[in-house]
Amino acid sequence: MRAPASWRDRFAALLALATVAALGLAFMGATGTQFLMPGPLTSAHGSIEKCSACHTKSGEGKMSWAHGLVAGDPRADSKACLTCHKMPDTAFNAHGASAEVLEKSTKRLAKAAAQTPVPQSARAQNVAFPTHNLVAGGLTCATCHQEHQGANFKLNKISNEQCRSCHAVKFDSFDGNHPEFENYPFKTRTPIIFDHAGHFGKHYPEVAKKEPGKRIPETCSSCHNSQDDRRVMAVAPFEKTCSGCHLNQITGKERATGPKGIAFLALPGLDLTTLKAKNAVVGEWPEESDAALTPFMKVMISRDEPGRALIKTIDGVNLQDLSKANDAQIKAVTKLAWEIKKLFHALIAGKASEVLGDLNLGGGAQLSPALVADLTASIPRDVVLGAQQEWLPNLGAEIASRPSANAETQGNAVDAKPKRPGETEQAPAAASRQVDPASAAPAAGNEDRAADKAGTAGAKPSSGQAGRSATELPPPMRAGVGDPEKTGGAASDDPAAEAKSVGNDDAQADHPGEAVPEGRTPLPTGTPRSIKARGKTSSEPGDKSGGVNDAGDGKAAPSASEPASKSAGDTKDADKAAEPAAAGGDKTGSAADAEKSAPAAKSGPGKATEQTDDLLFPTEDELRELKTGVPAVAGKGGPPPADPTKKGAPSGTTADGAEPAKPDVAASSAPKPPVSAAPVVSIGSDVDPESWAEYGGWYRQDFAIFYRPTGHKDKFLYAWLYLAGPQAAKGDKSAAGAVFTSLTHKDAQGSCTKCHSVDDIAGKGQLVNFSPPGVKSKQGRFTSFIHEPHFGIMENRGCLTCHKLEKDRPYLKSYEQGNASAASSNFGAVKKELCQTCHTSGMARQDCLLCHDYHVNGAATPIMSTKLPIQ
Amino acid sequence: MRLSARRATGGAIGGRGPIRAGLAIVQTVQGVLIVAISAGLLWLVWIYGNGLRDPRYFDGWVLAGGMSLQLGFHIAIKTASLSPKSARRWKAVHIFLGYVLIAAFISHSDFTLPDTAFEWALWGAFVLVTVSGIFGTYLAWALKAKRGVDDGISYEGIPARRAQLAQEVYAAVTSTDATTAALALPAQPHDAWITDLYTTHLRDFFQGPRNTAAHLIGSQHPLSRLTGEIDNLSRYVGLPSQQKLSVIKDLVVEKDRLDFARVYLGLSKGWLYVHVPVTYALIVLTVLHVLVVYAFSSGDW
Repeated sequence: MRAPASWRDRFAALLALATVAALGLAFMGATGTQFLMPGPLTSAHGSIEKCSACHTKSGEGKMSWAHGLVAGDPRADSKACLTCHKMPDTAFNAHGASAEVLEKSTKRLAKAAAQTPVPQSARAQNVAFPTHNLVAGGLTCATCHQEHQGANFKLNKISNEQCRSCHAVKFDSFDGNHPEFENYPFKTRTPIIFDHAGHFGKHYPEVAKKEPGKRIPETCSSCHNSQDDRRVMAVAPFEKTCSGCHLNQITGKERATGPKGIAFLALPGLDLTTLKAKNAVVGEWPEESDAALTPFMKVMISRDEPGRALIKTIDGVNLQDLSKANDAQIKAVTKLAWEIKKLFHALIAGKASEVLGDLNLGGGAQLSPALVADLTASIPRDVVLGAQQEWLPNLGAEIASRPSANAETQGNAVDAKPKRPGETEQAPAAASRQVDPASAAPAAGNEDRAADKAGTAGAKPSSGQAGRSATELPPPMRAGVGDPEKTGGAASDDPAAEAKSVGNDDAQADHPGEAVPEGRTPLPTGTPRSIKARGKTSSEPGDKSGGVNDAGDGKAAPSASEPASKSAGDTKDADKAAEPAAAGGDKTGSAADAEKSAPAAKSGPGKATEQTDDLLFPTEDELRELKTGVPAVAGKGGPPPADPTKKGAPSGTTADGAEPAKPDVAASSAPKPPVSAAPVVSIGSDVDPESWAEYGGWYRQDFAIFYRPTGHKDKFLYAWLYLAGPQAAKGDKSAAGAVFTSLTHKDAQGSCTKCHSVDDIAGKGQLVNFSPPGVKSKQGRFTSFIHEPHFGIMENRGCLTCHKLEKDRPYLKSYEQGNASAASSNFGAVKKELCQTCHTSGMARQDCLLCHDYHVNGAATPIMSTKLPIQ
Repeated sequence: MRLSARRATGGAIGGRGPIRAGLAIVQTVQGVLIVAISAGLLWLVWIYGNGLRDPRYFDGWVLAGGMSLQLGFHIAIKTASLSPKSARRWKAVHIFLGYVLIAAFISHSDFTLPDTAFEWALWGAFVLVTVSGIFGTYLAWALKAKRGVDDGISYEGIPARRAQLAQEVYAAVTSTDATTAALALPAQPHDAWITDLYTTHLRDFFQGPRNTAAHLIGSQHPLSRLTGEIDNLSRYVGLPSQQKLSVIKDLVVEKDRLDFARVYLGLSKGWLYVHVPVTYALIVLTVLHVLVVYAFSSGDW
């Protein structure tokens, strides 16, 4: 018989085996590996059924969990957490903050640590189980978030002691040795510059005195509320707060000096005399322009490397005084002139979005259509077109026949005679409109000028439409332009009827040749003849031949009520010119011109540089004159031709501001409807363009196209600042830097940076803080404060209980530099003692997580990708 | 009656009398130590957790280490590699460590009940081993503290000792007083009364294990009844007979202690049928538990 101990041992062994067997059976009978689960998941994770969703080493099979025993990436499971909980790359750093932030913070706190008594438990923990290596290696999610503790377990629970174990400052409690606050909460300046002290002490009382009816904020809650986000005392929108006083500053109404709009495109003034002396060929260019090259144009020209080099070369060169410029600079200025012309041409011939869509902004990325629309403020084509027709009426021809690079730089003549129509094989339609400067010149006339021709307004082309590309025209017109034979036939049959049938000014504007009878064909700028004509014109003050508005300031031409005598010459000339055109039989108009010019284009020199003798290559007008027997206007007793280099020098006007023909005279003296005419605006206006755009938008003045801000949140300003800022480090002289500087300096239009602060971003240029403080602004902060629960305990002083206004602090001065951290608030710092009146043992909570966030950069849970139920 | 019974405990079954005061001191010191060590362990677990580590790994390994020591003791006993003296010391350590591990277990289970079947199995096995261990220590304590039975007596030696006591009581009952026999006077019937007592109450009592149920529930009523009879008779007999009854009473008490020892030593033997096999099952479950824990571990240990 066995001893009892033996029985017992056998029984013990059997029980052990039975245990193994029972476990095996239970395991095999259970679903997946659920049997091994140590406890239910929290309700947020309750729907996760597969262990492998989080335990990445565990597979799908019954025994696959054993794979977890093999060493692998210790962060693999935590990375699985990040598939749902989106966090930055620094997720495994303490607080999910960057190493630099942590290092900086530790250095700062190390000073406080030396003065803080360390509790015994913290000391013991630090000795027995130090955390340095643990944290240095990166923290996993499970370090703090322990799962499988039940559905109601709070996963984000973390004790004060756990927080303390890592921190340099180890203190007992908030009401104990928690360090004093350092400039809380104003460690960084607010994105919006609002001088509370200045407004309370000066501006509001002044406004109340001046305009008693004006609404002035009475309490803090007039502008601030915490309803949208309990952490942020949100600022009410501009429209409800600041606009009462500051809107006019944005739109420019209150500007005393300088333009109220922003010069976007301009024809910069050039020292043409020097350029001529240096044999630089710039072609047609207005002498009167004293505009500067706008920073926006610099950006447009700098879109490629040669453009950048060009801008760099002319940087610092006074374009209006090139007497001291060296050859390279002259060469660059010449090139710049052509670049500007090409730019204007491209903006008219192509889409503005295409020209501006590939700007070297935004880090080289292709700009979105919306952004391009904002960058251009949807500039109407007619604005550019109108400018071109006034400033560079022969641009099309010039571009079509522009001198080669060699000619631009080594040209032996200042003149750059544009190609004639038909010479441009690539764009016959477009070129045909500008076949003859005369055809473009009338079209280039501004509205005021056209108004002077009120008598013929019904038949004359308007300025805005004269230069429309052939492709834009209605088919009949397009055909006429594109096919000289057809057009000629139509024109010769009955030009007047044709004009009538079209029924608007556009129709005639699209027939460049029809301008010829007016006899105001300007010579190409810089040709001997044009120079001569210009000399003549200038020597004849008061000459009535021009009829153009004042070229110097680009202002509206005299109204139609001007004495008829002043415009008699014009009218007569126009009549003379119109007669043969209306006679029929002969080919007139653009079609005829084009037809005639075609052979000339074939036989004549192809390059402007080769066109040194105008006599050998008569202009279209001259050819037309020869054909029709009607004398050309210039130099034949009639008014001298308008010089296209003169600002606003369309046909029928002079650059010296001679009066245009009086409409009634023109009408009475024109027996037949004119077949072509200068642009006409039938309505006069005393409102200057700047005032016309009082509520924002585009306008043209002098030799620049301006954009006037429409109000707060102007997309044009926002888009340019948004794109240029990152490429415009302080002091940067790049084109983007120039744009940024022009829009952010003290007197900049729009006054964006009067209220929106500008931050320097290390290595990334500058940033205009357009967004008011929001939840996002709280990212990266270790401390959070919820205002709302504190409202009920404030004393009679309200917000001032905690935020004491300190008038002498250099608040505004802190915005004069780009470091957002170098802040000086209007308000004094909040003291720890103030919080401690409630947050102490036995009263309000004082645990770390009450005021401090762990994941300072947030942990978002985005909507998971869901496939659309498409069959 | 009480006094005589208390006096009777002076007879040592195992050759050693109870040292109740010393035992109490030792046990008090041990209790304090267990509480102190348990508290220290819980504090260590707390600061371990504060150090951003999962405290379940810390108290889990403390528990596993302690269990390994206990298992080592069991193996040593089984392999008889310990001297009796060492075995006694190791047994004391075994019991002491067992109490400390209760704290480790409570800490490891985070002061909560299990949630899943596997955890319940593990938890149940540990609790069973622990409870059986505590019961074992109660039995050991009760033998010493209640009736002064020390480690010198074994379950197997009880029948022989009982037979010896039966012979001793018979001899005491049948012995005659020499002085009484020398007198010519008619003899008092004291011996007859004692013989009658023996016949009526004592003979059966000494013939085998008695009053098991009373011993299991800790009742001393049967012993009191017997000693009461002896004390009653003692009032009516002369001095020599009183001395004889006193010896008989001691033997009755001794026999009762022997019955007590038999019951408790018997329980101890049966208890091992729970404690040891469940420990084996617990070891199996523990090994599996450790493997699963490390297979699914994610955080910092």
